[in-house]
Amino acid sequence: MYPIVDHEVLAPRVHRLRVKAPVVAEKAKPGQFVILIIDQKGERVPFTISDWDTDAGTVDFVFIEVGKTTRQLATLQPGDTLLSFIGPLGRPAEVDHYGHVVSVLSGYGIAAMVPILKALKEKGNTLTTIVQAPDAERLFGQKPLEELSDTVIWALGTKGDGMMESTTVAMRKLLNQHPKRRIDRVIAMCSLCLMRVLSEMTRPYAIKTMVHLTPVMVDGTGMCGACRLSVGRTNRFACVHGPEFDGHEVDGWEVLMARRCTYADESILQQGFQCRGCSQW
Amino acid sequence: MTDEKETKGAPEKKPKLNLNRVEMPKQSEHERRHNFDEVALGYTWEMAKEEASRCIQCKKRPCQQGCPVNIDIPDFIAALQRENMEEAAKVLKRKTSLPGVCGRVCPQELQCENACTLNKKGAPVAIGRLERFIADWERTQGSATMPEMAPSTGKKVAVVGSGPSGLTVASDLAIFGHQVVLFEALHVAGGVLMYGIPEFRLPKEIVQREVQYVQSLGVDLRLNTVIGINYSLDELLRTDYDAVYLAPGAGLPKFLGVPGENLNMVYSANEFLTRTNLMKAYLYPEYATPIKMGKKVAVIGGGNVAMDAARCAVRLGAQEVYVIYRRTRAEMPARLEEVENAEEEGIQFHFLCNPTAFLSDGRNNVAAMELIRMKLTEPDESGRRRPVPIPGSEYILDVDTVVVSLGTSPNPLIPSTTPDLNVTRWGTVVIDERGRTSKARVWAGGDIVSGGATVISAMGEGRIAAASMHEYLSNGQKKIIPPSPQKDDDKTE
Repeated sequence: MYPIVDHEVLAPRVHRLRVKAPVVAEKAKPGQFVILIIDQKGERVPFTISDWDTDAGTVDFVFIEVGKTTRQLATLQPGDTLLSFIGPLGRPAEVDHYGHVVSVLSGYGIAAMVPILKALKEKGNTLTTIVQAPDAERLFGQKPLEELSDTVIWALGTKGDGMMESTTVAMRKLLNQHPKRRIDRVIAMCSLCLMRVLSEMTRPYAIKTMVHLTPVMVDGTGMCGACRLSVGRTNRFACVHGPEFDGHEVDGWEVLMARRCTYADESILQQGFQCRGCSQW
Repeated sequence: MTDEKETKGAPEKKPKLNLNRVEMPKQSEHERRHNFDEVALGYTWEMAKEEASRCIQCKKRPCQQGCPVNIDIPDFIAALQRENMEEAAKVLKRKTSLPGVCGRVCPQELQCENACTLNKKGAPVAIGRLERFIADWERTQGSATMPEMAPSTGKKVAVVGSGPSGLTVASDLAIFGHQVVLFEALHVAGGVLMYGIPEFRLPKEIVQREVQYVQSLGVDLRLNTVIGINYSLDELLRTDYDAVYLAPGAGLPKFLGVPGENLNMVYSANEFLTRTNLMKAYLYPEYATPIKMGKKVAVIGGGNVAMDAARCAVRLGAQEVYVIYRRTRAEMPARLEEVENAEEEGIQFHFLCNPTAFLSDGRNNVAAMELIRMKLTEPDESGRRRPVPIPGSEYILDVDTVVVSLGTSPNPLIPSTTPDLNVTRWGTVVIDERGRTSKARVWAGGDIVSGGATVISAMGEGRIAAASMHEYLSNGQKKIIPPSPQKDDDKTE
């Protein structure tokens, strides 16, 4: 059993849990994830690690209440336990000295990107960070982003609209300055549609764009094949080959988005989860 | 149950041979289409006694030689004939810790029962059903018979993977007196016995009882621990462990590589079965894992896993279930018994055809598949008749769910983090005849070696490796000469 040692509400329906799992904390690297099960009747659900403490043996992750399991997670308090907590899974994010790195974050990515940004900073990169959130009330985790980034762009949507536009407009401005103000790499951990749009935006500039994909997973250790996607015309499995992929090589975004939503109508209960204009709805 | 005896020309010897086996009762076809309860109901005491009485206790014991784990079959049947159940259970447990599993899922018709002397004249003794009967008797008794345990050797062994192969090695080495830690990546032990084989063929309670038995031998089970991630193989060898057995099992599922294969509602058999069996999606929403199922389900492949997937689909409410196989019924790798069960449950078999594309409904859900008819060629040098497509024979079959069951490739987690572990170009771990890998102090078996085989062959490989490991551990040597890394390995990339 894996005890919960801390639970913080970061914004409405956004939570951070800290779980005691020394074996996971020992090996965690930026961009990796865990799979947890709450109890005997629970499902296996992946979450990207947002922080860890090897000495204390704890692992943090941030989640948004969207469905059955995340709602149940939101009720857990320190002292409660999880049945299973497996990780760190997946390959760590690629980190090197690239120069100027633009990252795009939304949702859980606002927290889960922090370890990657830290590692990029240590490698001496210049960091521009675009943070997307529906509104100021639902924004969280600003402090580490401000500390790590050379520039932070807050891309807040206006009520009910313009969420994606606020980010793409910011990105467009940066791309217009390229190559005078050169962008060497883009990393995105945000909604699937936004990652797709960003990949298409950077393609003409041949700026390497890494996307963090979160297809549906079951076992998460390379056995079930639920998380497969086509990258560079071959089937890859996000749990062992990813979750970070080159956005320009991902083919079949449409199918990927459809697969992502297979179970949405059953377990995603939240109203307004629907992306505008998404073919799946 | 009938007492007919075939009396041929020659006068029979004294103990008359009963050439008909006692049938095992099954749930009716109509009933079982709607539940996940076990299909085969097992013998009653009378049935078991009658079936046991058919064994002539021949001297040559061919059945035992036909058993990959060398169970003393004539002895447990003799104990049954004497109505000594405790003795029968004890004999069984000498060679297997998983009798309830083996009695249900072993292909006995190819092994012990195939070798049975009676098989030459009529039906062989139903050894599997008797094994199952004894295992079930012992389980309902509450207390399990314990084997004689050797005194502690002070040696420590890591077993990676708690499927049939790992459980066999863990129990063998524990009985030999070694300290065993059994690592499992999932949240429950049992491997394919839990995630793969459905409840209606192998109740999960039985698997868990047999896992508990292995634990009762002193095996330390560590769930939720992925070797290759939490600890590398080298870390295990460098730290606590004198030897390691690798049995991490199946890896990434294989696909056809045809257009549309990633459409929504195209599952791998592993995903489909894991959701259904391990996560109990058939009990959704009591269990949180859902499974989406359409009305017309196509299962691609002809193995036991394909049969399991097809039969799960029936129980999950599919109206029509097709098994699509590119060869003919005669070449199907699935057990005949499972094929018959599937047919009884209304599953339709489409032979000599192969999917060439999956078609979308316009919203990226699968709506149909294009198939091409196949024909078998004349046997080649290997004697195999290869299926080849018949040009221009493409046709469309409407389906809304597809389960691709074409086997798996080995999980790359351990090989990719262990550079000096020799693997074939298919990614399977290379071993010698005693289960040793190219790496000192490391043995391997099960699907990581075979690429995908039966429960009992994985157990057999475990039995051989455990003996070799025990020999090594008993010699007190720290160094062992591994088989030449180049041997058998010309195909390694």
